[in-house]
Amino acid sequence: MKTLRSLACLAPILLAACGADPAPGPVEQIIVREAGAKTAAPAPAAATGDAAGALIAEGKAAFANCSACHAVAKDAPNGAGPNLFAIVDQPAGQVAGFAYSDALKASGITWTAAELDGFIADPSAKIPGTTMITGAIADAATRQAVIAYLESITAN
Amino acid sequence: MSKTETGSPGKMGKWTRRAFIGAGVVAGSALVVGVAVRPGNPIDRLSPMLADGKDEQLLNAWVKVDADNIVTAVIPHVEMGQGVYTALAQMLADEMDADWNKVQILEAPADKQYVSDSIGRDFLFPDLEVPALFEPTVAGGILELAQAMGLQFTGGSYSVRATGQRAMRTAGAAAREMLVAAAASEWQVPAGEITTADSMILHAGSGKAEPFSKFALAAAEQSLPAKPTLKSPENYKIMGQSKARHDIPGKVDGSAIFGIDANVPGMKYAAVKAAPVVGATVESMDATTARTMPGVLQILNMGDFVAVVADGYWQAQQALNSIDTKYSKTEGDSLDQEALFARYATHLDEAGENGGDVETEEGDVGKGFAEAVTKVEAEYKVPFLAHATMEPMNCTAWVRDGKCDVWSGHQAPVNARQAAADAAGLAFEDVTYHNAFLGGGFGRRSESDNIIMATRIAKATGYPVKMIWSREEDTAQDHYRPSATSRFQGGLDKDGKAVSWSNIHTHLFDPKDAPTVPYYNIASHKIRKVDVPTQLRFGPWRSVDHSQHGFFIESFVDEMAHAAGKDGYAFRRELLAGSPRHLKVLDTAAKMSGWGSALPERHGRGIAFVPSFGSIVAQVAEVDMSGPKPKVTKVYVAADPGFVINPDGFTAQMESAIVYGLTAALYGEISIKNGEVQQSNFHDYPMLRINEMPEVEVALINGDHKRLGGGGEPGLPPIAPAVTNAIFAATGTRVRELPLSKHSFA
Repeated sequence: MKTLRSLACLAPILLAACGADPAPGPVEQIIVREAGAKTAAPAPAAATGDAAGALIAEGKAAFANCSACHAVAKDAPNGAGPNLFAIVDQPAGQVAGFAYSDALKASGITWTAAELDGFIADPSAKIPGTTMITGAIADAATRQAVIAYLESITAN
Repeated sequence: MSKTETGSPGKMGKWTRRAFIGAGVVAGSALVVGVAVRPGNPIDRLSPMLADGKDEQLLNAWVKVDADNIVTAVIPHVEMGQGVYTALAQMLADEMDADWNKVQILEAPADKQYVSDSIGRDFLFPDLEVPALFEPTVAGGILELAQAMGLQFTGGSYSVRATGQRAMRTAGAAAREMLVAAAASEWQVPAGEITTADSMILHAGSGKAEPFSKFALAAAEQSLPAKPTLKSPENYKIMGQSKARHDIPGKVDGSAIFGIDANVPGMKYAAVKAAPVVGATVESMDATTARTMPGVLQILNMGDFVAVVADGYWQAQQALNSIDTKYSKTEGDSLDQEALFARYATHLDEAGENGGDVETEEGDVGKGFAEAVTKVEAEYKVPFLAHATMEPMNCTAWVRDGKCDVWSGHQAPVNARQAAADAAGLAFEDVTYHNAFLGGGFGRRSESDNIIMATRIAKATGYPVKMIWSREEDTAQDHYRPSATSRFQGGLDKDGKAVSWSNIHTHLFDPKDAPTVPYYNIASHKIRKVDVPTQLRFGPWRSVDHSQHGFFIESFVDEMAHAAGKDGYAFRRELLAGSPRHLKVLDTAAKMSGWGSALPERHGRGIAFVPSFGSIVAQVAEVDMSGPKPKVTKVYVAADPGFVINPDGFTAQMESAIVYGLTAALYGEISIKNGEVQQSNFHDYPMLRINEMPEVEVALINGDHKRLGGGGEPGLPPIAPAVTNAIFAATGTRVRELPLSKHSFA
């Protein structure tokens, strides 16, 4: 392995990898505030809308991560994952034109909020063999927000 | 080494003796075919990993066929605007006879199984020839080496000519043959009577026609074709076509995700400032103001840089700007631009007539020069250059519970993953690297400094952090194209024919052939280099060493032509005599430009010719010198990359290389004072503006379909010398130092 490492350093394009730091931690770390705590500065006025609206907005923000693979606009093309327009309460594996895994197609699931919650928490535990291999959301509150957002995207 | 060729020798290059094909079934529904780089069939081992979901996706494969007759091309390279997804998918789909409208694209995960074996080979053993008998051992060795090097790398203009030519086409052809064999068995007809087209399997005699998907499972049971037959160019249906780019719709409608778009729930933002002199450390930081500023969560002195973590990027950057930082002294503090060039000169002087490291030597250059009737000498200089990618450097990282996730756009995802693992103090397997589109790479994103910094910050905070560099940081903390000096001595005989060529230059980085001129027929030549230490970080910059040597060599050829009393085009024709393929490229560019025809006062034409990365490119530039500064009005390009897979994409690469190279020729300069980079943003490191862009005309030549060249870089090296040669033609002033903004032509 040592030999390989030094050989690797011969390839100039990869020099940076050979000179990697031993990753020192901070010399000085000033923690002004914990990440979850409210800022000392006055919070911006809450946007108008009820709690449900806020939840959907939170879900929409969190969905940005999902949007790398999933479109939500009506008739938008499938990405690496199927379009999720009006997906809630639809049978699994039925979005036109998407190449589902056999496992998902055969799952017999209907995408209720509860089923979505279980799937998003750990897709391959819920449906072994699914090709959704990334994008799991560990945080239950974030999942609820994302599902609320998906529920808000309907044909109506 | 003796050759014990067992196949049709050299039929499609060398892949037949190098590749091993594997096939398998994923999740019971798809045929998966890959070109493995060692004996055995790793797909059987890898498929369950995908199916049971216990591991991240692992497919040592380049193609999948699923039950809906969708063909998926798995692309082991990253998309940074060069169109690689589309070109590689074209190569696979064509060999497979797939329906282009039903081809999907998947970027390979950052996994060591996807290292580019074919790239590793060309880097390390460019002329490797081994008997078929020993091939498995050699291939296995290469895989190990390539894995150690993390060569899942996009750069060196390698994707199409290496991965495409050796892997994607082979995988497509193998998949097709296996599908045909499966159908032949089912239909009880000879395989030779079966044809394929548009993802369908057809038998004319019986009128049978079924989609690929019908035989996907049965195909996976077929024995693997050891040497699938690749198409010859007259049978190409998708290769050679300007297929629409797969990545563009998302870039137009805004849905495309770049590294900087990473969005992780709970994520905070970091702004960073590294020590302005490389090697210096933070001695003290006064964060009195910063800690009272809105949104600020943490202020970190990381030793070599300072970081502020806040709720938003702007808050982090503003707080960072308020911090007063003192840095340690280093040896580099006194470094100035002039001193650096003086240091180059000293080393070159010390090397004298015979010192330095000889790169190539042929004939007796001393004798040739001594006997020459006309002697020409010149010295050229180029400055450091930054990459200035449109998307600023960034990385998002989350280190928690013994795991690490990293999001960015990187040219070598396996390297990035390893760098994050090292920085987090975790094993490679505990890091998940999520790659996205690159908003410009140009070599900058082959470095992992941003990955390491973000991971260190995330490790310190414990929550996900997106680190974004300001443009000032991007400009001042790049890995630069080195500044360089190059000296030449050339000799001409009584007929004005070049007989000796001697060059000594600073630095040699990559590719090793950049300073050499084997295509020019000169009786004696000797090329040497001297290494001069500087503390600035070097990095590959689009076309790498060709970016400076293209300018040096083609300027000096022009000076020799002038000394010989000859036209630059005619002089190069003489030097290329006996190389019809080279001549055709040169002639095409000259003819397109109307070379020799009259131009207005203070207008000029210049020609330059640079083969690089396996492609041959000639350019003619026209300049208008009637105003206060040079205006490049037109550029004619002739390019022969062997065979053009996607003409529109290749043409775009020629055009963008001219934008990038002309920017550098006109303005590009990173200068050093007191050890610090002087430039900070686009006001002092300007880019070419749209009103300065010349009209570009590109002619493509398919000169050798068996040996492909690259597309991303070869358009760049000729532009600077084509322009400076044109300036000489227009004004009589020879430019020997870039950028042009240093010079007055009034």
